[in-house]
Amino acid sequence: MMTLIRRELLDNLMTFRFAAAVFITLLLVVANTIVLLKDYEQRLTAYNKAVKESHQELREKKTYSGYAGALVVQRPPNPLSIFNLGLDKQVGNKIEVYHAFVPTIWDAEKHGADNPFLNLFTSIDIVLVFQGVLSLLALIFAYDALAGEHERGTLRLVLTHPIQRGYILCAKYISAMLCLLVPLLISLFLSIILLTTSATISLSTDDFLRIGGIVLTSLLYVSLFYLIGLCISAMTRRTSTALMLCMFVWGCLVLVYPNLILTAVDIVPQPETQTSVYNQIKQMWEKLDKEDKQFIRNDAVLSPPSRGGEDMAAGFGLEGVEYTFWKDEDKPSILLYFHQTGLYAGKIGAESEPQVPRVQDYYGFYNRETINTVQRTWLVRKPALEAIYVQPANLGRMLLRFSPVGLYDAATEAWAGTDLEGIQDFFSTVQRYRRAVVDYFYDKKIFESRQWFAADKGTADWDALPQFSFQRSDTGINAKRALPDMLLLLTMNVILFTVIMLIFIKSEV
Amino acid sequence: MWHIAKRELYDNLNSLRFALATVLLLALMLTNAVVHLREHPVRMQKYRDAAMESLNTLTSRTDLYDLAQKGPEKLYKKPSPLHFSADGGDGLLPAFTHAASHFRGGDLKSFWRMTYPSATPNLKNIDPDATKIDWAFVISYVLSLIALLFTFDAISGEREHGTLRLMLANPIPRHTVLIGKFLGAFISVNIPFVIAVLMNLLVISTSSAVHLDASEWGRLGIIVGIAMLYLSLFLALGLLVSARVRQSAVSLVILLLIWVSFVVFMPNTLASIASDFSPARSYDAFQEDRRQTRRAILEVYYPQLSATDDPSKKMVISGEYVTEDATQDGRLRQEYLSERISQVSQARTITRISPVAIAQHLLEVFAGTGLARHLQFVENVQLYAREYHEFIADTERADPESPHIIGVRDGMSKKEVSPEAIPIFEDTLSLSKDFNVAAMDLLLLTLFVVVLLSGAYLAFVRVEV
Repeated sequence: MMTLIRRELLDNLMTFRFAAAVFITLLLVVANTIVLLKDYEQRLTAYNKAVKESHQELREKKTYSGYAGALVVQRPPNPLSIFNLGLDKQVGNKIEVYHAFVPTIWDAEKHGADNPFLNLFTSIDIVLVFQGVLSLLALIFAYDALAGEHERGTLRLVLTHPIQRGYILCAKYISAMLCLLVPLLISLFLSIILLTTSATISLSTDDFLRIGGIVLTSLLYVSLFYLIGLCISAMTRRTSTALMLCMFVWGCLVLVYPNLILTAVDIVPQPETQTSVYNQIKQMWEKLDKEDKQFIRNDAVLSPPSRGGEDMAAGFGLEGVEYTFWKDEDKPSILLYFHQTGLYAGKIGAESEPQVPRVQDYYGFYNRETINTVQRTWLVRKPALEAIYVQPANLGRMLLRFSPVGLYDAATEAWAGTDLEGIQDFFSTVQRYRRAVVDYFYDKKIFESRQWFAADKGTADWDALPQFSFQRSDTGINAKRALPDMLLLLTMNVILFTVIMLIFIKSEV
Repeated sequence: MWHIAKRELYDNLNSLRFALATVLLLALMLTNAVVHLREHPVRMQKYRDAAMESLNTLTSRTDLYDLAQKGPEKLYKKPSPLHFSADGGDGLLPAFTHAASHFRGGDLKSFWRMTYPSATPNLKNIDPDATKIDWAFVISYVLSLIALLFTFDAISGEREHGTLRLMLANPIPRHTVLIGKFLGAFISVNIPFVIAVLMNLLVISTSSAVHLDASEWGRLGIIVGIAMLYLSLFLALGLLVSARVRQSAVSLVILLLIWVSFVVFMPNTLASIASDFSPARSYDAFQEDRRQTRRAILEVYYPQLSATDDPSKKMVISGEYVTEDATQDGRLRQEYLSERISQVSQARTITRISPVAIAQHLLEVFAGTGLARHLQFVENVQLYAREYHEFIADTERADPESPHIIGVRDGMSKKEVSPEAIPIFEDTLSLSKDFNVAAMDLLLLTLFVVVLLSGAYLAFVRVEV
């Protein structure tokens, strides 16, 4: 057995294709790591700047109601996006935290405006290089493994020895995998060295575990392509036919199928839930609006001078601007619809001082009802967002899994935490943070405080607000998300190996 | 020569690779046609609705001051009917420009200036990344791969079988053999390609939703021509490597590695590296420049305005201020846009080392999509903006009763403007301009082909049999 492996290994290592393979992989991985590293550093700088700016902006607000649009949370770039970019760069990374809506991916905007024309160029991450090059190399190593020996007649020679056929196959497999590991590991080492020498990236132990997961998935992927090649090689008698078939299979699986299926899936008709859900949400807000008006009408102090606009200033002697906004068309999410009144820091005239408690009362009521309405709209909005955005995207992803490329991509994305779920983690943290802020406001009775709308007696204390912090999910969760795809890859490996074994054992030499 | 070509052709037609290539190309091209038929009418409808709305708003204005202050609304880029032949990343480019004026309090309103929205990628999009299946994809990736698969063993394979010696024993000059082989491969790759193209066009032209006119058919012809030139490049590369290498397996390995690095990875990696050479101003720096310019203008006009009490003089100064503000801000925006564009253009220039980038640029240009088309659109917009300004000035001059102070309501003509007189934006494309843009790429591609072909010839002449 060992002699067989050694023989195969030497055979493979001394070839031109091996040298070329190592060279090309190294070149591409290193070049792209440098590009991606630079890109990551730029994104990190933009992130830090945005965090600082939003921190400052919030502190400039003197009243609590001024936090609308100023309490902004930024999503940090993921250092593992260098391995698989996934959705990390694609979706929004700046999200407002406000009690009048539940933040989701689709409400996020983007900080850091680099030249958007540069989006014309695709970013190539390390997994993409492996996807293209290593699969090709695996096929190049495999196509003549059996057909070649068959042609040259050496297979007959080997089989005259008292060795089981299974051993020969295993020896071939192990030695080829060892050879393929060399470019994979060397290039990964180089890129990790580049990463660790960069001052901006700090990888934790968990990150190394995740990288380990990516390596393991890469191994399964390469092995699968090697087995595909071996299978073709076992089925065909001539190397030239095997090679041709291998190349077409590669072209179909790697190049054509993923793009073809994603282009085709675009024309699948989308569910028409948008408008109905939007109207439903609108109705809920209109109901709130009615209750709001009712409240004002029943109040002896707040009415007759009706709430809003100039009347407000006249009625209460409040010097400030009141604003009402409904649907904000600039927001990316089509289902975002909210109604909110707010009041910017103002001085309160002495003559309206006695009315202040009633106004406080009003805001206490209004904000409480707003938060309840948000809760109700969220029950409708959440499934609608799922249906409009997530389901079509998941359909595409599911169809992609028919190609090993899709499985590999999905599994490495999950390891890197740049998949949809990884990004959703961030937004659910933001949702929890919004809840915490609202609870804090309730606890401290801020909604019905004077500081909500006026800054003359004490200003808002932003430092006491709960702080936002986001930790990427721990490795266990990454592993759990990557596991199904990895298992599928493994199953395909095992099935193919069995098939090859059967073909090889039955084949006549 | 024809004899050799014919022999090659028959050899290829019976081979597995020919069948596989045909199936692959047909599947891709048919998908492309079906997707285009589904998507294009929607795209056109969206464009027409938006353009019509903006035009209606424009022509509903009859007051000259309104027209001068609000400007020509949004101007939309007309989608190309040849979108199926090259997508060109149109989804990542902005589809309109906007004549915007700033909100200001008081009766002095700011005048319009052309703004160029940045091409924000769709943030809602959480789909996995994919390249659109268009002709450009089929040609630059699939066709080139097929070309290599058809030629990698053209010479090395014959040498391995010993048939090369046999052939060269005949009184045929070597270059004839080479050209024969080239022609044979060229025709045999072209058969499935042309069939696939024809099927694609058949599906597209039978539908009533998409209409192609004569000039578009001409453009399609040019695109097919470019595809053939590009195909020859890869055939020549295949012959060159095949002539230099003894074993066909090694030849294919070399070719595939060249292909993967040049076609799949090089253009994007190089572009990303090259885009750092001449970075555009950051958005913040641009905003800072705008603020400073605005302040500078205000510092000039504000003291003048407060120094005088004469209302007519005040009006003149206000008019000048408003015009200057709009001109300077418009100029800054245009400069910023051209900085960004030159950054991308430089990056794209460097990617021309890779033939696939050249081919894709060419296909985009002739399909009327992509960056070149966007630049044309911006140029059209700027021409139109000039025309619009002239129209305002001319209408103003034509009214003898007006005090001729552009920028203030009371200073401008009160006469009603007829909707027919307002110039209308037309987003035109001209084939001769496209040729100018494409000339360098075309020459470069031809140069590549010639160099590789002569390389293949030299290599083949020196082959020892």
